[in-house]
Amino acid sequence: MAFAENHINTDVPEKDVFALHFLQTLSNLSTQNPFSSPDKKSDRVKKIKKAAYVSMARAAGCTDRLWSRALLQRAAKRNNKIVRFPRRRKRVTWLRRRSNRRDPVEEAAAERLRNLVPGGGEMKTSKLMEETAHYIKCLSMQVKVMQCLVDGLSPK
Amino acid sequence: MDPPLVNDSSFSPANPSSYTLSEIWPFPVNDAVRSGLRLAVNSTPSDKDVSTAAAAAAAAAAAGEESTVTDLTAGGWGGRKGRALNSEEDESSKMVSLSSSGNEVKDSGEKKRKLCGSENGNGDGSMRPEGETSSGGGSKATEQKNKPEPPKDYIHVRARRGQATDRHSLAERARREKISEKMTALQDIIPGCNKIIGKALVLDEIINYIQSLQRQVEFLSMKLEVVNSGPSTGPTIGVFPTGDLGTLPIDLHRNIYEQQEGNESRGSHPEWLHMQVDGSFNRTT
Repeated sequence: MAFAENHINTDVPEKDVFALHFLQTLSNLSTQNPFSSPDKKSDRVKKIKKAAYVSMARAAGCTDRLWSRALLQRAAKRNNKIVRFPRRRKRVTWLRRRSNRRDPVEEAAAERLRNLVPGGGEMKTSKLMEETAHYIKCLSMQVKVMQCLVDGLSPK
Repeated sequence: MDPPLVNDSSFSPANPSSYTLSEIWPFPVNDAVRSGLRLAVNSTPSDKDVSTAAAAAAAAAAAGEESTVTDLTAGGWGGRKGRALNSEEDESSKMVSLSSSGNEVKDSGEKKRKLCGSENGNGDGSMRPEGETSSGGGSKATEQKNKPEPPKDYIHVRARRGQATDRHSLAERARREKISEKMTALQDIIPGCNKIIGKALVLDEIINYIQSLQRQVEFLSMKLEVVNSGPSTGPTIGVFPTGDLGTLPIDLHRNIYEQQEGNESRGSHPEWLHMQVDGSFNRTT
């Protein structure tokens, strides 16, 4: 067992990184699919939402975080694209899962967290907390960017 | 509550680094004691650490030494800090029990020594199988409260008084401490979470926050779609061609930066919950 690091690193890039990624993804979205296509409104909304998440995952550091990797893989799977990441994901056997998260007091809440945070199904609870913190920061940053965008685009 | 047999006045003010080991500890020293003392001296000792380190050293040395002398050092170390620790009461009770049940002390001390020697090889069943109580539960006075003495590259785990010291519970305790440390880090991020005490409630708050953030993303993406879907359906934009968010002018970028301060000063509700309902509507319609 190595020395446990004392401070958890939950730094998140600045807002412009998120904005840049989001705008790039949106422009890709609009160029690849001309908007006059007969997509229903819900489809368009879904596309924008997916673009938001994907750009957030990319802006936050593609491979640095488990949740971003899981998000990107999930999105790529829907497009039938195979995305390979250089670092191998740890396979947790069922047996080790039992010994990994043993505390029943916080288990129920941890279960809910796992459902919410992408990629949370396989993490140990301590790792889950780290990922949650980073995820929350990135989410709030993304929300701010989108809010500013909406404000900027809507008529004064 | 009896004062300990030895209090502050009986010892010259301690500066552990200024004395040699033989002065402080005039007994034959074995490995366990030495590492225990080293750990106690090197790391910045908190109250509990010092007392438990001393207790460990005392326990390890008790096998060979007179119990009364051990009481002296144990009481001295424990009594040096003037706080009303649980350990102080436990020290007195422990001293009583030590002197009364000397044989038992020696046996368990030896057991302890063997444990330390093999670096906590196995959590044996002969140790007290009691569950982990908090540091206040030093009920069993006859228990030897030992502190594991892992080699230097291990995670330092302090076993508090009254807690089982087998390997599994130690690992579990370390794990639990890590988790709670990360949860406090989470608490700092989420506004309004500092006041909540209790892991379950904090976790509920966290989950609500994440859900609301995700809902906000969805809502904003709907708004973006409305804005972007052209002058016919959405509010008239005029400047931008339909569906072309890629060629935003520079002003918009600046807008993004400046808006940040405006947003934060305007929508400065302390609870993020309001932002979802009130703030968005105010700003965009």
